[in-house]
Formats: sequence, C-alpha cells, structure tokens
Amino acid sequence: MPSPARLLRRHVEHRPSPDGPAVVLEEVVKTYGGGVRALDGVSLVVPRGSFLSVMGPSGSGKSTLMHCAAGLDTPTSGRVVIAGHQISAENENRRTELRREHVGFVFQSYNLVPSLSVADNITLPLRLAGRQPDEAWVRTLVERVGLTARLGHRPAELSGGQQQRAALARALAPRPAVVFADEPTGALDLRTAREVLGLLRDLVGEFGQTVVMVTHDPAAAALAHRALVMADGQVVATLDAPTAADLAGRLVALGGE
Amino acid sequence: MLSLSIGMARHRVAALIAVFCAVLGGAALVTATGVLAESGLRSHLPAGRLAGADVLVSADQTYHPPEDLPIGLPERRPVPAELVGRLGRLPGVAAAVGDVSFPAAVLDAGGTPVSVGHPRTAGHGWSSTRLLDRVEVDGQAPGGPGEVALDEATAAAAGVRPGDEVRVVVAGRTSAFRVAGVVRAPGAGILVTDPTAARLAGRDGTVDLVGVRAEPGAAGSVAAAVRAELRDSGLVVATGADRGDAAEPGAAADRSVLLVLAGSLAGVILLVVGFAIAGAVAVSVAAQRRELALMRAVGATPAQIRRLAAGQATVAAIAALPPGLGLGYLLARQFRRLDVVPPELPLTMSPLPAAAAALLLVVAVQGAARGAAWRASRLPATEAVAESRTESRTPSRARAAVGLALIVAATVLAAAPLLLRSAFGVAGTQVAGMLGGIGLALAGPLLARWVAAVVAGRLPARVAAPTWLAVANVRGYSQRFAGNAGALAMGVVFVLTYSLAQTTLLAATSGERQAGTPAQHSIDAPALGALPADVLPAVRALPGIRAAAPVGSTTVLWPHRELGDEAVDAQEALVLDPDAAGVLDLGVRDGSLAGLTGATVAVAEDVVRSRGAALGSSVRLILGDGTPVDARVAAVYGRGLGFGPVAISADLAAGHLGPAPDRSVLVRTDGSPEADRGLNELAATRPGLAISTPDGSAGVPPELRINLAIVVVLLGFLLLSIATKLVAATTQRRTEIAALRLTGATPRQIQAMTRREAGLLAGAALLGGLVLSAVPLILVGIGFLDRPWPAGPVWLLPAAAVAVVVTAFATTELPVRRALRIPPAAALLSPQ
Repeated sequence: MPSPARLLRRHVEHRPSPDGPAVVLEEVVKTYGGGVRALDGVSLVVPRGSFLSVMGPSGSGKSTLMHCAAGLDTPTSGRVVIAGHQISAENENRRTELRREHVGFVFQSYNLVPSLSVADNITLPLRLAGRQPDEAWVRTLVERVGLTARLGHRPAELSGGQQQRAALARALAPRPAVVFADEPTGALDLRTAREVLGLLRDLVGEFGQTVVMVTHDPAAAALAHRALVMADGQVVATLDAPTAADLAGRLVALGGE
Repeated sequence: MLSLSIGMARHRVAALIAVFCAVLGGAALVTATGVLAESGLRSHLPAGRLAGADVLVSADQTYHPPEDLPIGLPERRPVPAELVGRLGRLPGVAAAVGDVSFPAAVLDAGGTPVSVGHPRTAGHGWSSTRLLDRVEVDGQAPGGPGEVALDEATAAAAGVRPGDEVRVVVAGRTSAFRVAGVVRAPGAGILVTDPTAARLAGRDGTVDLVGVRAEPGAAGSVAAAVRAELRDSGLVVATGADRGDAAEPGAAADRSVLLVLAGSLAGVILLVVGFAIAGAVAVSVAAQRRELALMRAVGATPAQIRRLAAGQATVAAIAALPPGLGLGYLLARQFRRLDVVPPELPLTMSPLPAAAAALLLVVAVQGAARGAAWRASRLPATEAVAESRTESRTPSRARAAVGLALIVAATVLAAAPLLLRSAFGVAGTQVAGMLGGIGLALAGPLLARWVAAVVAGRLPARVAAPTWLAVANVRGYSQRFAGNAGALAMGVVFVLTYSLAQTTLLAATSGERQAGTPAQHSIDAPALGALPADVLPAVRALPGIRAAAPVGSTTVLWPHRELGDEAVDAQEALVLDPDAAGVLDLGVRDGSLAGLTGATVAVAEDVVRSRGAALGSSVRLILGDGTPVDARVAAVYGRGLGFGPVAISADLAAGHLGPAPDRSVLVRTDGSPEADRGLNELAATRPGLAISTPDGSAGVPPELRINLAIVVVLLGFLLLSIATKLVAATTQRRTEIAALRLTGATPRQIQAMTRREAGLLAGAALLGGLVLSAVPLILVGIGFLDRPWPAGPVWLLPAAAVAVVVTAFATTELPVRRALRIPPAAALLSPQ
C-alpha cells in the first residue's frame, strides 16, 4: 500500500502540465544482459525552451540516456517523465502514442521514409496521430528549413543536408514538448553540419522548442544552453553556457575523443 | 573475394535461405528430370529368362528417324530360323537356340488361369531352356505334342507334378497336356516341344530371336564372331546388359516413354525453377544493395561488385546442392512409381544428371545474381550509396516493354487449342500461362507504380494513416511489391492453366471416347494372354446382341512433315475389323469403316490436310514391328481426339502383332437384362474371360497422373520459394519499420499497414493471375469443349485464392512481428 504522500505525488506528476519541465529523469538505471550498467542512476531535469547537449566518449551511456529519456527504451529502474507523463511505466503502444504526441526525433541517418515525398514525411507523425496538420505551422516550418521548393521530392533525391532539414521539420511539426537529436550532423560535411546546427539553435530561439542533443562534437555541444558530460553511465559534469574549448578539455580528461 | 562474400552473407540469412530453398528444390526437380531422361536413353532391362545366353541376336527393334532419337518398336519382328544353324557352327559356340514365345496360361483344377509372369509370352519351345542360367528338371522334357513342362512357380500354383494332367490355354485354345517335367528356374514359363512351339507361335522359318551360349571362357570371341558373321544384316547383336532389350521389345519401347516424359516436363520445370531462382537471387542481391554500394564507394570495380553479389548467392546455392541433388534421385523414384513404364524397367542412377543439374543451377544463380547486381554495379559510386537507401528510382521501361511483349506473345500462344485439338494444343495453353506470368513479373513494377499512383491520388484525405502508408509503400517500393505480386500471380497462373488445361484435355478426350463408344461391354482375357477365338461367335449367338466386333490396339509410326521438318512419333492406333462401326462411332465424315479390309486405314480429319491423307489417297505408315506399309485411306473420322489420328485395318495389322493379337471384343446389346445375363453366363463358363465397361476401367491415364504429380511438386516448390522470398523481402524492411516507429507509428499501426499491404499484394496477385489465366483457359475451353470455360475441379480457384491470401499474410505477419520485437532504436543500429 503506497503512502498517501506518494499517491499524491504520482497524481500531481501524472497531470500533464504546460509549464512543468519538458523531461524529468529520476535515478534512472539501465542494465543490459551480462550486468553491464549503461546508466547508473542518472537524474536530470530539462526545462521547457532549453537546449541541452549530452557529451561523452563512446560507451559513456549517452545514447542509452537518450533512448530512455525519449521513451524509446524503458529503464531497468527509476522514472522518466515527459511533459508530465510517466512514459517509463507504459507499454510499447502507449509509449509510441506518447512519443508521437510529445517527442520529436532527429537521427544521424535522417530516417526519412523513402517511399514518401518530403511533404508527406513532414506531416507523417501528425497523420499517424490522426491529427489534422496545422497548415500554417507546417508552411512556416518548411519555409524556415528552406525546403519549400522540394516538397514533392523523394528523400533519395535530396542532399544529406536537405534530408536532415526535412527531418528537423518533421520533428517539429507536431509541436512536441521536446526534440531529441542523436548526432544530427554525424553524416554531414563540416559546412552543412554548421548550417544544420545553426538552424536547430535558431528554432530553439524562435519557437521556444526544447531540444536535447547527443553529440561527441564539442563545437556542436557548445551551441547548447547547458551541456552534460557523461562517463561510465553517470553524469560527471554539468556546464552552463559551455564553450567548445571547455568541453574538449573535459573530454580529453576523460580519455575520450 | 569469397571470404568477403561469406562475411557479408552472415547478415543476410533470410535472403540466403530463399536462395537455398530455390536451389534445393530446383536441384531436386532438374536432377529427377535428368534421371528420367537418362533412363529413357540407356536404362537396361534385366535379361531375365535369357540370362544364360551370352549373345542374343534379334531384329532391330528401333526406328531411326532422320536427325532424331530412335523410337522403340514394341511389336516383335522375327529373325530367320536358318540363323540358328549358322551361328551354331561358329567356333566356341556351345549352343545356338531359336527362341519363340506365344500366349499360354495354365488352368488350375478349378479352371481358373494361374497367373505367373506374363501370359502373353509365357509359352516357349523346350530348347529355350538351354538359355536359362541354370536348369534342373524334375521329370523330363516334353516328348510329344501332348506333353508340357512347367516352371516351378507355375506348377506349384496349378498344383501339378510330373505325370499329372493339366489344362493349358495356348493362343486362346484350351487343351489337356501331360506334365512331363517341372523346370527349377524362375520365369522359364510353359514349355512344349520345339515343333509344337513353332506351330503355336505361328512361325514358319522364323524365330523371335537367337540365343547363343559360348563355351566356357569364349564369350568374348563368340560375340565378336557373331558380330562379324552378321555384319550388314541389320540384325542386332546384344551382349551383357543390352540383352534385356532384345528379350522384351515391348518394355524396351516403353523406355522411350520416359524420354518423352522427361522432355515434356523439362520445359515447365526449367521455367519454374528459373523463375524461382531469379526471384530469390534478386531478393538476396537487394539485401546486399547497401553493402555493394559501399564496396563500390571504397573502390570496387563494377565487375568485382557483380562477382561479389554472385559469390554470395553461389555460396548458398552450393550449400543447397548436395541435399537437393540427393532429393532429386528420390523424387525420380517417386515419379517412377506412377506406373508410366513397365515395372521391370529400372531407372539408371548415374551421377550424370546430378552433374548436369549442378552445373545448370550454378550457372543460373551466377547469371541471375550478376543480372540483379548489374544496375548497382554500374552506378557512379556516390549515387550508388544514395540509391541504396531506397529502390532504384524508376522501374526500367525496357523491362516493362519486354514483359508486355511476353504477355502479348502468351496470348497468341494461348490460341493454340483453337488450331490443334491435341496434347500440343494444351501445351500451348500451359506455356502461354507460364510466359504470361513471367511477363507480368517483368512489367509489374511499372504497372504497380502506375496503379498505386492513381489510387494514391484518389484516396480520400481522411483515410487512416496505415492505409495511406500502405498505398505509398506500394508506389514507392513498386519493384518489391510487383516482384512479390508477380511471383504469387505466377503461382496462380501456373496452377490454373497447367492443371485445368490437362483436365480439359482429359474431359474432351474421354468425352469423345464415351460418345464414340456405343458398345456397353468389353470382353477380354488378360489372364490368358489372348482372347480365345471362339468367344466372338459365341457372343454374337447370344440373344439381345446388336453388334460385337474385335478391337485391338497397336503402335504405329506415321512419318509426316510438320512445319517443314520430318516428324515422326509413336502413336497408339486402333486395330479395327470392317464391322467395327457396330460398336464404335468414330464420327465418320467420309468413306466407311466397312471399307477397312486389306491394306487400309481410317484417319482423323484433323490430319487429313496436314498429312495429305484424303479419302482414297495412299499413306505410308510404319507398323509396330518396323514394317513400312502403304495403305489406302478408307474412312475419315471426326473423333480424332478420343481415338487418335489413325486406325488400321485388322488385315493390315495381321502378322505384325505377334502370334495372337491382343484384342478385346466390344459388345453392343439392346440394353435388355437378358443380353447382360447371357454375357455374364458366357464369361462364367469360360476360363479367364473378363467383362468390363469400355474405357471405364482405363481410369486416369498415366500422363495425366504424372502431370498432376508434377503440378503438386512444382506448386509446393513455387510456394516455398515464394514464401521464403516474401519473408526475406519483409525481413529487409526492418530499418524502414524502425524509421516509421520513431516517427510515431505504433506497432499496431505498423501491423495494420503491413496487413493492408499484404491485402493489396494478395489482391494484385489474384487479379493479375486471374486475368492472365482467363484468356488461355477460355480459349482451351472453346478449342476442346466448345464452351468458353475449361473442365476441371471447381475447388481449384478458391483453393488457389486461399493459398495466395494465406501466403501473402503469413509471410508478412511473422517477420513483421519479429521486427516489432526489436526496439526501434536498436533496429536502426543493426545492419538490418
């Protein structure tokens, strides 16, 4: 029998709140078969409208952190709350619905659906949710990412940068509480990467979009309001308004890249 | 390169299983066909009764058409008896024996014929015992015309011993003999004195064959001496394993049936196997697409890329070959059991068919893989990587054009039954179906893309997301979709056209035979080897008999020109008396069956024009024993499908069908019970007579049986290869499914989407299959049955539909479920 206080707390936290933090992690532990502790008790709050970057050497747990925080994976213990919903306690169908509602994704490999046009790709999450796209908002987004002339094309007909910008528009189209970006510029050349990162940061500024970005590029991470540095499944440092040099130094100290 | 191929192969298990299965089944089918073909060419009957002879001399029991394989002649052609003396004088010869056979059957005490061996050739002269391997006799040789010797098994079955009386039916005549001796050797038969045997066999100065026994150790030199003695005589000198052919020309002639059978199976089997392998290899290469593109990017040349693609498929193929080839020999044995050839004819089991099948399949796999990788190998490296994410942008127009051309050609071929009311016409229908199916598979991608584009444009805006996605996937992955739908449609077309064409032919043939046989009864005496001659007058004397006439059948060869080439094949022909019109209605259009006296024939009207055989003209035929004859056309009949292209007069056949022609008597009664009673009483009072319904007992002809067996085997193979291909194709969609899930599609939505795709797939396959089958089947119906639909089991269509739907759903559902079990983020990280 849970205590009344705990019931109350659960009740409060379950109520979606437009003002609460976008993402909350409480003592999240993720263990894989063989006893590997990929996440070792991570707690974290991502306020609305903030841009958080997560850094760390390979194997530090940053991708696992993102997968758990985004509801792609369930933690072994601990809780993940996205926009007031405790996503870590739900089954796959419900998690998908919650993700669709509240989470946008940008991946290194774009992951556009090859058989759909750019326009269809961008509105796909809304269609899947059975929601009518907000035409004006979608048009604004498409203009903002510079793909107005490319809407009828298939992803294969676009350059890498264009595909990633389409993926960005797709992530933002449902007005999610948070966008998770996993090495969004990993597959792009330096100049295009800078462009896409600039766009991402501008979208945070212009639309108040919460973004969590996982990267191992200090220059990219330095664009965020706040940066976490991870090692061995734990957050070892939190830097507000980080600089690339700072972050690079931290990484070197950890023996990473 | 090979180790690279193997390394890459580890990630492509589903696709390689598809190749494995296709090659496994293909190897089995091709090997089995090869075994049948090889057996048709060179399998050897056991020498049996004549195993003790070192050399057998017989007439040439084959007809050698110009530029074609020899055709076996089933009716025995005799050799001059003077040879016996000539060969007996050669050095080293211990004995030369002229062997004759005649129909004979021993009756037991109850008057029932004892069935041991073949009654048609059970009787021989005593001297034939010298050709037996080992002879031990209880009692002695028959010493006069009233004495007989029996082999052990016959004597035991009849319950007689030396000195007993026994009744023997010889060439249809029953007489009492005294058993002089019992010969302890299997298959020695019923032996009478040599002069009696010559008389009973109706031989005057001829024997069936001459067997020569050499002095110990002289077999080789005797064979050489016999060959030298008989050089340029046209006679065949057989030693060793070849002796079986001389001993049993009928069974030896049936051997060529195996070759014909293998030939007719080869076409459809090669088409289906080629189709299955091409499909499986295409999926396997598609699975490698990304890796091949990356290899291209790191500097592999186009030729290396193709070799890499081919290498991987070849590894799977080579792994499948040993079990597949082994399975082939087992399959051939199963086919053998369908009774298309006499049971004593063994199959030749040499490694040759397996070697040929292995070579053929490896070449096919290599060719298919190189073809499938052609495009990827030729693209500029960068583009190759970009394109590897999806399908090549536009389905090839040239490919679609070839496909449409094939469909048109198939439709033209489908008209064959309108022109040729024969098995050839039916072959047209069957090949048309196959060609159409392949055409559809080729033209499919463009077609699918086009139809899906139209459908996508018409979809209501508020349609559920899974439906919309399913249509978009058909459009975006038109090649994958069309490849799968084409394979399934091919299965539908194959099953429908192949089996319904057969059953339609059968229905038309048996329909004509039934309509053409007003006789209600057929009397014969299989246990006696020949129908006693006095049965016919006895039947005619019964009350209520409208007509009774003997009808036999033999094999004739009719050389003619077909499409400008000399053509000849062995055909079953009726042997008719002038009074056959009373029991058979061949649908005579011109002339009369009453004119079938002397050297005359009746011909079917279908061949009148093509073979220049108008009424009154003369045609040249070759009888079953190889004798060429010129015969006048006395009648032209309409029911050629049921009764074959030619029937010959009994006069013409006389002397060419062995000592006592194997004929049955067809009887037409007035339908009264008295007539039936009279017939039954007649049969009851005479030993060995059997009354049956004409053609009713014939049952399913062996060709049809084997054709249906082939349909079943090929269908199983097709379904297996289609299913593995579909599973592989769906398994390759993991990345796509993961991307959709990350975009917000729930597992339920993904399943709804793939189910709708499976529905579209099944629908397209059924529609395509039905449309393609419709034209050939309508035409075969019109051609054979004068109605625009075929004959055959009604359940075939729904069964095919169910098979397609189940295959489409099962092969999508299971891999998708498996794919959904992997967390989407993990699915993106793994290479597949």
